[in-house]
Amino acid sequence: MNLPHLSQNEFEQIEKYLNGWLDDSDLHDFDQRLNNDSDFKTKVEELKITIMGIEAQTLKEQLNKFHNDIESHNIKHNVNDSKIYNFNWKRLVIAATLVIAAGSFWIISGNLNNQLYSKYFTPDPGLPTTMSSSDNYKFYEAMVDYKQGNYNTAISKWERLQNIKINNDTLNYFIGVAHLANQKEHNAISFLEKVTKNSEFALVNDAYYYLGLAYLKSNDLDKAKSNLQHSTIDNSKALLSELND
Amino acid sequence: MKENELVVYLFCLANNMKNIFKTDSQRQVILAIQDNDPIILKKIYRYNYPKIEIFILKNNGSKDQAKDIYQEAFLAVWQNVKQNKFRPQSETSINSYIYAIAKNKWLDVLRSQGYKKTIVTSRLKHFEIKAEEYNDIDDDILKDKRLEDVMHAFKNLGEACKSLLRKFYFEKKSLNLIAEELALNAASTRNKKYRCMQKLREIAFKN
Repeated sequence: MNLPHLSQNEFEQIEKYLNGWLDDSDLHDFDQRLNNDSDFKTKVEELKITIMGIEAQTLKEQLNKFHNDIESHNIKHNVNDSKIYNFNWKRLVIAATLVIAAGSFWIISGNLNNQLYSKYFTPDPGLPTTMSSSDNYKFYEAMVDYKQGNYNTAISKWERLQNIKINNDTLNYFIGVAHLANQKEHNAISFLEKVTKNSEFALVNDAYYYLGLAYLKSNDLDKAKSNLQHSTIDNSKALLSELND
Repeated sequence: MKENELVVYLFCLANNMKNIFKTDSQRQVILAIQDNDPIILKKIYRYNYPKIEIFILKNNGSKDQAKDIYQEAFLAVWQNVKQNKFRPQSETSINSYIYAIAKNKWLDVLRSQGYKKTIVTSRLKHFEIKAEEYNDIDDDILKDKRLEDVMHAFKNLGEACKSLLRKFYFEKKSLNLIAEELALNAASTRNKKYRCMQKLREIAFKN
Protein backbone atom coordinates (compact mmCIF):
# COMPACT_ATOMS: atom_id res chain seq x y z
CA MET A 1 0.00 0.00 0.00
CA ASN A 2 1.35 3.38 -0.97
CA LEU A 3 0.95 6.10 1.55
CA PRO A 4 -1.38 8.74 0.09
CA HIS A 5 0.25 12.15 -0.20
CA LEU A 6 -0.95 14.64 2.36
CA SER A 7 0.05 18.28 1.95
CA GLN A 8 0.61 20.43 5.02
CA ASN A 9 -2.42 22.47 4.11
CA GLU A 10 -4.65 19.44 3.75
CA PHE A 11 -3.27 17.95 6.96
CA GLU A 12 -4.05 21.08 8.94
CA GLN A 13 -7.53 21.34 7.44
CA ILE A 14 -8.33 17.73 8.43
CA GLU A 15 -6.91 18.33 11.86
CA LYS A 16 -9.18 21.36 12.31
CA TYR A 17 -12.11 19.22 11.25
CA LEU A 18 -11.27 16.46 13.74
CA ASN A 19 -10.95 19.01 16.54
CA GLY A 20 -14.20 20.70 15.65
CA TRP A 21 -12.53 24.00 14.80
CA LEU A 22 -13.99 24.53 11.31
CA ASP A 23 -16.55 27.28 10.96
CA ASP A 24 -19.92 26.54 9.41
CA SER A 25 -19.11 27.30 5.78
CA ASP A 26 -15.78 25.43 5.86
CA LEU A 27 -17.48 22.53 7.58
CA HIS A 28 -20.10 22.41 4.86
CA ASP A 29 -17.43 22.25 2.14
CA PHE A 30 -15.49 19.68 4.09
CA ASP A 31 -18.50 17.40 4.56
CA GLN A 32 -19.29 17.59 0.86
CA ARG A 33 -15.79 16.58 -0.07
CA LEU A 34 -15.93 13.78 2.46
CA ASN A 35 -19.08 12.42 0.80
CA ASN A 36 -17.85 12.69 -2.76
CA ASP A 37 -14.14 11.93 -2.58
CA SER A 38 -13.35 8.47 -1.24
CA ASP A 39 -9.57 9.04 -1.31
CA PHE A 40 -10.06 12.08 0.85
CA LYS A 41 -12.25 10.10 3.20
CA THR A 42 -9.48 7.52 3.55
CA LYS A 43 -7.01 10.25 4.48
CA VAL A 44 -9.34 11.61 7.17
CA GLU A 45 -9.86 8.16 8.65
CA GLU A 46 -6.15 7.49 8.60
CA LEU A 47 -5.31 10.74 10.36
CA LYS A 48 -7.95 10.07 12.97
CA ILE A 49 -6.37 6.71 13.76
CA THR A 50 -2.90 8.27 13.81
CA ILE A 51 -3.94 10.84 16.42
CA MET A 52 -5.73 8.20 18.48
CA GLY A 53 -2.62 6.01 18.29
CA ILE A 54 -0.40 8.83 19.59
CA GLU A 55 -2.74 9.40 22.50
CA ALA A 56 -3.19 5.68 23.24
CA GLN A 57 0.54 4.95 23.23
CA THR A 58 1.26 7.98 25.43
CA LEU A 59 -1.37 6.86 27.92
CA LYS A 60 -0.04 3.29 27.80
CA GLU A 61 3.41 4.55 28.75
CA GLN A 62 1.92 6.62 31.58
CA LEU A 63 -0.02 3.66 32.98
CA ASN A 64 3.23 2.00 33.97
CA LYS A 65 4.11 5.07 36.00
CA PHE A 66 0.69 4.98 37.67
CA HIS A 67 1.30 1.33 38.42
CA ASN A 68 4.70 1.86 39.97
CA ASP A 69 3.02 4.18 42.46
CA ILE A 70 0.66 1.39 43.49
CA GLU A 71 3.54 -1.07 43.79
CA SER A 72 5.58 1.17 46.07
CA HIS A 73 2.45 1.75 48.14
CA ASN A 74 1.98 -2.02 48.50
CA ILE A 75 5.54 -2.62 49.63
CA LYS A 76 4.78 -0.59 52.73
CA HIS A 77 1.76 -2.78 53.43
CA ASN A 78 3.71 -5.99 52.88
CA VAL A 79 6.12 -5.03 55.64
CA ASN A 80 3.14 -4.93 57.97
CA ASP A 81 1.80 -8.20 56.59
CA SER A 82 4.47 -10.37 58.15
CA LYS A 83 3.56 -9.02 61.55
CA ILE A 84 -0.13 -9.72 61.12
CA TYR A 85 0.56 -13.18 59.81
CA ASN A 86 1.74 -14.72 63.07
CA PHE A 87 -0.93 -13.22 65.24
CA ASN A 88 -2.48 -14.81 68.27
CA TRP A 89 -5.62 -13.63 70.04
CA LYS A 90 -3.85 -12.17 73.02
CA ARG A 91 -1.70 -9.97 70.85
CA LEU A 92 -4.68 -9.01 68.75
CA VAL A 93 -6.63 -7.86 71.79
CA ILE A 94 -3.71 -5.80 73.03
CA ALA A 95 -3.21 -4.31 69.59
CA ALA A 96 -6.89 -3.53 69.22
CA THR A 97 -6.97 -1.83 72.61
CA LEU A 98 -3.98 0.27 71.68
CA VAL A 99 -5.54 1.22 68.35
CA ILE A 100 -8.79 2.23 70.00
CA ALA A 101 -6.97 4.19 72.68
CA ALA A 102 -4.75 5.95 70.16
CA GLY A 103 -7.75 6.59 67.93
CA SER A 104 -9.84 8.17 70.65
CA PHE A 105 -6.94 10.32 71.73
CA TRP A 106 -6.45 11.45 68.17
CA ILE A 107 -10.11 12.29 67.70
CA ILE A 108 -10.38 14.19 70.96
CA SER A 109 -7.15 16.11 70.69
CA GLY A 110 -6.79 16.27 66.94
CA ASN A 111 -8.13 19.08 64.89
CA LEU A 112 -11.60 18.06 63.82
CA ASN A 113 -11.83 20.89 61.30
CA ASN A 114 -8.71 19.76 59.56
CA GLN A 115 -9.97 16.22 59.40
CA LEU A 116 -13.21 17.29 57.83
CA TYR A 117 -11.32 19.53 55.47
CA SER A 118 -9.17 16.71 54.18
CA LYS A 119 -12.16 14.45 53.92
CA TYR A 120 -14.04 16.89 51.72
CA PHE A 121 -11.34 18.70 49.83
CA THR A 122 -10.32 17.56 46.38
CA PRO A 123 -9.05 20.21 43.98
CA ASP A 124 -11.55 21.56 41.46
CA PRO A 125 -11.01 19.39 38.35
CA GLY A 126 -10.67 22.51 36.18
CA LEU A 127 -12.06 23.19 32.74
CA PRO A 128 -11.44 21.02 29.68
CA THR A 129 -8.47 22.42 27.80
CA THR A 130 -9.64 22.20 24.22
CA MET A 131 -6.98 23.25 21.78
CA SER A 132 -8.55 26.62 21.32
CA SER A 133 -7.12 28.97 18.77
CA SER A 134 -8.95 31.89 20.33
CA ASP A 135 -7.55 34.67 22.50
CA ASN A 136 -8.18 32.51 25.52
CA TYR A 137 -5.26 30.22 24.88
CA LYS A 138 -3.19 31.79 27.65
CA PHE A 139 -5.97 31.01 30.07
CA TYR A 140 -6.01 27.37 28.99
CA GLU A 141 -2.24 27.11 29.04
CA ALA A 142 -2.43 27.94 32.72
CA MET A 143 -5.26 25.43 33.08
CA VAL A 144 -2.90 22.72 31.84
CA ASP A 145 -0.41 23.71 34.56
CA TYR A 146 -3.20 23.73 37.13
CA LYS A 147 -4.29 20.22 36.18
CA GLN A 148 -0.76 18.96 36.41
CA GLY A 149 -0.57 20.30 39.94
CA ASN A 150 1.81 23.16 39.08
CA TYR A 151 -0.29 25.61 41.06
CA ASN A 152 2.32 28.35 41.38
CA THR A 153 2.87 28.49 37.62
CA ALA A 154 -0.86 28.47 36.95
CA ILE A 155 -1.47 31.26 39.45
CA SER A 156 1.26 33.47 38.06
CA LYS A 157 0.00 32.99 34.49
CA TRP A 158 -3.57 33.77 35.49
CA GLU A 159 -2.48 36.78 37.50
CA ARG A 160 -0.79 38.20 34.42
CA LEU A 161 -4.11 37.86 32.60
CA GLN A 162 -5.80 39.90 35.29
CA ASN A 163 -4.15 42.99 33.88
CA ILE A 164 -6.14 42.48 30.70
CA LYS A 165 -9.32 41.13 32.19
CA ILE A 166 -10.02 43.05 35.36
CA ASN A 167 -12.48 41.46 37.76
CA ASN A 168 -13.17 38.45 35.58
CA ASP A 169 -15.07 35.93 37.72
CA THR A 170 -13.75 32.80 36.03
CA LEU A 171 -10.21 34.04 36.45
CA ASN A 172 -10.72 34.95 40.10
CA TYR A 173 -12.39 31.62 40.76
CA PHE A 174 -9.55 29.56 39.39
CA ILE A 175 -6.86 31.67 41.05
CA GLY A 176 -8.80 31.12 44.28
CA VAL A 177 -9.12 27.36 43.97
CA ALA A 178 -5.50 27.09 42.85
CA HIS A 179 -4.40 28.91 46.03
CA LEU A 180 -6.55 26.56 48.08
CA ALA A 181 -5.10 23.48 46.35
CA ASN A 182 -1.70 25.02 47.06
CA GLN A 183 -2.61 25.19 50.77
CA LYS A 184 -2.77 28.98 50.87
CA GLU A 185 -6.31 29.30 52.16
CA HIS A 186 -5.96 32.96 53.14
CA ASN A 187 -5.10 33.95 49.58
CA ALA A 188 -7.92 31.75 48.33
CA ILE A 189 -10.47 33.50 50.52
CA SER A 190 -9.88 36.95 49.07
CA PHE A 191 -10.37 35.72 45.51
CA LEU A 192 -13.36 33.51 46.23
CA GLU A 193 -15.06 36.27 48.25
CA LYS A 194 -15.01 38.48 45.14
CA VAL A 195 -16.50 35.74 43.01
CA THR A 196 -19.40 34.89 45.31
CA LYS A 197 -20.62 38.50 45.09
CA ASN A 198 -21.87 37.73 41.58
CA SER A 199 -24.87 35.42 41.89
CA GLU A 200 -25.03 35.09 38.10
CA PHE A 201 -21.58 33.47 37.88
CA ALA A 202 -21.82 29.96 36.43
CA LEU A 203 -19.64 28.36 39.09
CA VAL A 204 -21.05 30.30 42.04
CA ASN A 205 -22.15 27.09 43.82
CA ASP A 206 -18.65 25.66 43.58
CA ALA A 207 -17.23 29.00 44.68
CA TYR A 208 -19.34 29.00 47.85
CA TYR A 209 -18.32 25.41 48.53
CA TYR A 210 -14.60 26.08 48.18
CA LEU A 211 -14.91 29.33 50.12
CA GLY A 212 -16.59 27.35 52.90
CA LEU A 213 -13.73 24.86 52.83
CA ALA A 214 -11.15 27.65 52.92
CA TYR A 215 -12.79 29.12 56.04
CA LEU A 216 -12.96 25.66 57.59
CA LYS A 217 -9.24 25.26 56.98
CA SER A 218 -8.60 28.59 58.71
CA ASN A 219 -10.80 27.47 61.63
CA ASP A 220 -13.47 30.11 61.07
CA LEU A 221 -16.45 27.86 61.60
CA ASP A 222 -19.18 30.50 61.39
CA LYS A 223 -18.07 31.80 58.03
CA ALA A 224 -17.49 28.25 56.79
CA LYS A 225 -21.07 27.34 57.60
CA SER A 226 -22.62 30.48 56.17
CA ASN A 227 -20.85 30.02 52.86
CA LEU A 228 -21.60 26.30 52.63
CA GLN A 229 -25.27 27.15 53.17
CA HIS A 230 -25.27 29.14 49.95
CA SER A 231 -24.04 26.24 47.84
CA THR A 232 -26.47 23.73 46.36
CA ILE A 233 -23.91 21.01 45.62
CA ASP A 234 -24.28 17.71 47.49
CA ASN A 235 -20.92 17.75 49.19
CA SER A 236 -21.61 21.15 50.60
CA LYS A 237 -24.80 19.93 52.24
CA ALA A 238 -23.08 16.79 53.51
CA LEU A 239 -20.21 18.77 55.01
CA LEU A 240 -22.61 21.26 56.55
CA SER A 241 -24.59 18.53 58.25
CA GLU A 242 -21.37 17.05 59.64
CA LEU A 243 -20.38 20.47 60.97
CA ASN A 244 -23.77 20.90 62.61
CA ASP A 245 -23.65 17.49 64.29
CA MET B 1 -4.62 -15.23 47.93
CA LYS B 2 -3.72 -15.11 51.57
CA GLU B 3 -6.23 -13.79 54.03
CA ASN B 4 -3.96 -11.11 55.34
CA GLU B 5 -3.51 -9.72 51.83
CA LEU B 6 -7.24 -9.50 51.49
CA VAL B 7 -7.47 -7.55 54.72
CA VAL B 8 -4.93 -5.07 53.44
CA TYR B 9 -6.77 -4.64 50.15
CA LEU B 10 -10.13 -4.18 51.80
CA PHE B 11 -8.55 -1.58 54.03
CA CYS B 12 -7.13 0.26 51.00
CA LEU B 13 -10.46 0.08 49.20
CA ALA B 14 -12.39 1.49 52.14
CA ASN B 15 -9.84 4.23 52.50
CA ASN B 16 -9.96 5.21 48.85
CA MET B 17 -13.68 5.06 48.60
CA LYS B 18 -14.10 7.93 51.02
CA ASN B 19 -12.47 10.46 48.80
CA ILE B 20 -12.82 9.37 45.25
CA PHE B 21 -15.17 11.30 42.98
CA LYS B 22 -16.35 13.37 45.85
CA THR B 23 -16.58 16.65 44.06
CA ASP B 24 -16.11 15.50 40.49
CA SER B 25 -19.48 15.07 38.99
CA GLN B 26 -19.64 12.25 36.50
CA ARG B 27 -19.88 14.71 33.63
CA GLN B 28 -16.67 16.34 34.72
CA VAL B 29 -15.03 12.93 34.87
CA ILE B 30 -16.02 12.25 31.27
CA LEU B 31 -14.70 15.61 30.14
CA ALA B 32 -11.50 14.98 32.04
CA ILE B 33 -11.02 11.58 30.40
CA GLN B 34 -11.66 13.01 26.96
CA ASP B 35 -9.15 15.66 27.84
CA ASN B 36 -6.51 13.15 29.09
CA ASP B 37 -6.46 14.89 32.46
CA PRO B 38 -3.48 13.25 34.22
CA ILE B 39 -4.80 13.73 37.77
CA ILE B 40 -8.21 12.20 37.12
CA LEU B 41 -6.82 9.34 35.00
CA LYS B 42 -4.39 8.41 37.74
CA LYS B 43 -7.11 8.58 40.35
CA ILE B 44 -9.39 6.25 38.39
CA TYR B 45 -6.50 3.92 37.65
CA ARG B 46 -5.43 3.59 41.26
CA TYR B 47 -8.95 3.31 42.59
CA ASN B 48 -9.98 0.40 40.39
CA TYR B 49 -6.84 -1.73 40.30
CA PRO B 50 -7.00 -3.53 43.70
CA LYS B 51 -10.39 -5.07 43.05
CA ILE B 52 -9.28 -6.46 39.70
CA GLU B 53 -6.04 -7.79 41.12
CA ILE B 54 -8.03 -9.67 43.75
CA PHE B 55 -10.27 -11.16 41.07
CA ILE B 56 -7.41 -12.30 38.85
CA LEU B 57 -5.30 -13.67 41.71
CA LYS B 58 -8.29 -15.66 42.93
CA ASN B 59 -8.75 -17.08 39.47
CA ASN B 60 -5.37 -18.59 38.77
CA GLY B 61 -3.67 -15.45 37.56
CA SER B 62 -0.44 -13.76 38.60
CA LYS B 63 0.21 -10.17 39.57
CA ASP B 64 1.85 -9.50 36.20
CA GLN B 65 -1.14 -10.89 34.37
CA ALA B 66 -3.43 -8.76 36.53
CA LYS B 67 -1.45 -5.67 35.57
CA ASP B 68 -1.51 -6.47 31.83
CA ILE B 69 -5.21 -7.28 31.72
CA TYR B 70 -6.06 -4.22 33.78
CA GLN B 71 -4.05 -1.89 31.57
CA GLU B 72 -5.68 -3.30 28.44
CA ALA B 73 -9.09 -2.82 30.00
CA PHE B 74 -8.22 0.70 31.13
CA LEU B 75 -7.13 1.69 27.61
CA ALA B 76 -10.31 0.21 26.15
CA VAL B 77 -12.48 2.14 28.59
CA TRP B 78 -10.57 5.34 27.95
CA GLN B 79 -11.04 4.93 24.21
CA ASN B 80 -14.74 4.12 24.48
CA VAL B 81 -15.36 7.18 26.66
CA LYS B 82 -13.36 9.33 24.24
CA GLN B 83 -15.35 8.15 21.26
CA ASN B 84 -18.65 8.49 23.10
CA LYS B 85 -19.29 4.77 22.86
CA PHE B 86 -19.77 4.71 26.60
CA ARG B 87 -21.58 7.40 28.59
CA PRO B 88 -21.62 6.50 32.27
CA GLN B 89 -25.04 7.08 33.82
CA SER B 90 -24.07 7.24 37.47
CA GLU B 91 -21.05 8.07 39.58
CA THR B 92 -20.11 4.45 40.09
CA SER B 93 -20.84 3.18 36.62
CA ILE B 94 -17.41 3.98 35.20
CA ASN B 95 -15.86 1.85 37.93
CA SER B 96 -18.17 -1.08 37.29
CA TYR B 97 -17.55 -0.70 33.56
CA ILE B 98 -13.78 -1.01 34.06
CA TYR B 99 -14.30 -4.01 36.32
CA ALA B 100 -16.64 -5.75 33.86
CA ILE B 101 -14.26 -5.28 30.95
CA ALA B 102 -11.21 -6.47 32.87
CA LYS B 103 -13.13 -9.48 34.12
CA ASN B 104 -14.33 -10.39 30.63
CA LYS B 105 -10.80 -10.10 29.32
CA TRP B 106 -9.48 -12.42 31.99
CA LEU B 107 -12.24 -14.94 31.39
CA ASP B 108 -11.31 -14.89 27.70
CA VAL B 109 -7.73 -15.72 28.66
CA LEU B 110 -8.89 -18.59 30.83
CA ARG B 111 -11.06 -19.98 28.04
CA SER B 112 -8.21 -19.85 25.56
CA GLN B 113 -6.33 -23.00 24.57
CA GLY B 114 -3.24 -22.61 26.70
CA TYR B 115 -5.25 -22.47 29.87
CA LYS B 116 -7.74 -25.23 29.16
CA LYS B 117 -4.96 -27.77 29.26
CA THR B 118 -3.72 -26.87 32.69
CA ILE B 119 -6.72 -25.73 34.68
CA VAL B 120 -9.58 -27.76 36.01
CA THR B 121 -12.70 -25.65 35.92
CA SER B 122 -13.76 -26.71 39.39
CA ARG B 123 -10.71 -24.90 40.75
CA LEU B 124 -12.09 -21.61 39.53
CA LYS B 125 -14.08 -20.76 42.60
CA HIS B 126 -15.09 -17.30 41.53
CA PHE B 127 -15.79 -18.06 37.94
CA GLU B 128 -18.68 -15.91 36.84
CA ILE B 129 -20.48 -15.45 33.58
CA LYS B 130 -19.76 -12.40 31.47
CA ALA B 131 -21.46 -9.22 32.51
CA GLU B 132 -24.23 -9.18 29.96
CA GLU B 133 -24.99 -5.48 30.06
CA TYR B 134 -21.62 -4.69 28.53
CA ASN B 135 -21.44 -7.56 26.06
CA ASP B 136 -22.24 -5.49 23.01
CA ILE B 137 -19.41 -3.06 23.59
CA ASP B 138 -16.21 -3.46 21.69
CA ASP B 139 -13.65 -3.79 24.43
CA ASP B 140 -10.51 -4.52 22.54
CA ILE B 141 -8.82 -1.51 21.05
CA LEU B 142 -5.84 -3.63 20.17
CA LYS B 143 -7.94 -5.58 17.69
CA ASP B 144 -7.57 -2.64 15.37
CA LYS B 145 -4.45 -3.53 13.41
CA ARG B 146 -3.87 -0.03 12.10
CA LEU B 147 -4.14 1.52 15.54
CA GLU B 148 -1.68 -1.04 16.82
CA ASP B 149 0.70 -0.13 14.00
CA VAL B 150 0.51 3.56 14.88
CA MET B 151 1.09 2.85 18.56
CA HIS B 152 4.08 0.71 17.76
CA ALA B 153 5.50 3.28 15.34
CA PHE B 154 4.99 6.09 17.84
CA LYS B 155 6.69 4.08 20.56
CA ASN B 156 9.83 3.89 18.44
CA LEU B 157 9.73 7.40 17.00
CA GLY B 158 12.67 9.70 17.81
CA GLU B 159 12.28 11.53 21.10
CA ALA B 160 12.17 15.02 19.53
CA CYS B 161 9.15 14.19 17.38
CA LYS B 162 7.61 12.06 20.07
CA SER B 163 7.71 14.83 22.61
CA LEU B 164 6.28 17.44 20.23
CA LEU B 165 3.39 15.21 19.17
CA ARG B 166 2.74 14.14 22.74
CA LYS B 167 2.53 17.74 23.94
CA PHE B 168 0.14 18.69 21.16
CA TYR B 169 -2.15 15.65 20.89
CA PHE B 170 -2.08 14.15 24.37
CA GLU B 171 -1.39 17.07 26.70
CA LYS B 172 -3.39 19.35 24.39
CA LYS B 173 -1.00 22.23 24.77
CA SER B 174 -1.32 25.09 22.32
CA LEU B 175 1.16 25.38 19.49
CA ASN B 176 2.33 28.72 20.88
CA LEU B 177 3.14 27.23 24.26
CA ILE B 178 4.99 24.32 22.66
CA ALA B 179 6.93 26.78 20.50
CA GLU B 180 7.88 28.68 23.65
CA GLU B 181 9.01 25.48 25.36
CA LEU B 182 11.10 24.44 22.37
CA ALA B 183 12.47 27.97 21.90
CA LEU B 184 11.21 28.02 18.31
CA ASN B 185 8.83 30.34 16.51
CA ALA B 186 5.24 29.31 15.90
CA ALA B 187 5.64 28.77 12.16
CA SER B 188 8.56 26.39 12.41
CA THR B 189 6.89 24.48 15.24
CA ARG B 190 3.85 24.04 12.99
CA ASN B 191 6.09 22.86 10.20
CA LYS B 192 7.95 20.49 12.47
CA LYS B 193 4.68 19.01 13.69
CA TYR B 194 3.66 18.31 10.08
CA ARG B 195 7.00 16.66 9.32
CA CYS B 196 6.82 14.52 12.46
CA MET B 197 3.35 13.38 11.50
CA GLN B 198 4.59 12.48 8.02
CA LYS B 199 7.40 10.44 9.53
CA LEU B 200 5.02 8.66 11.88
CA ARG B 201 2.57 7.87 9.06
CA GLU B 202 5.37 6.54 6.91
CA ILE B 203 6.55 4.12 9.59
CA ALA B 204 3.07 3.09 10.65
CA PHE B 205 1.46 2.55 7.27
CA LYS B 206 4.43 1.62 5.06
CA ASN B 207 3.26 -1.94 4.37
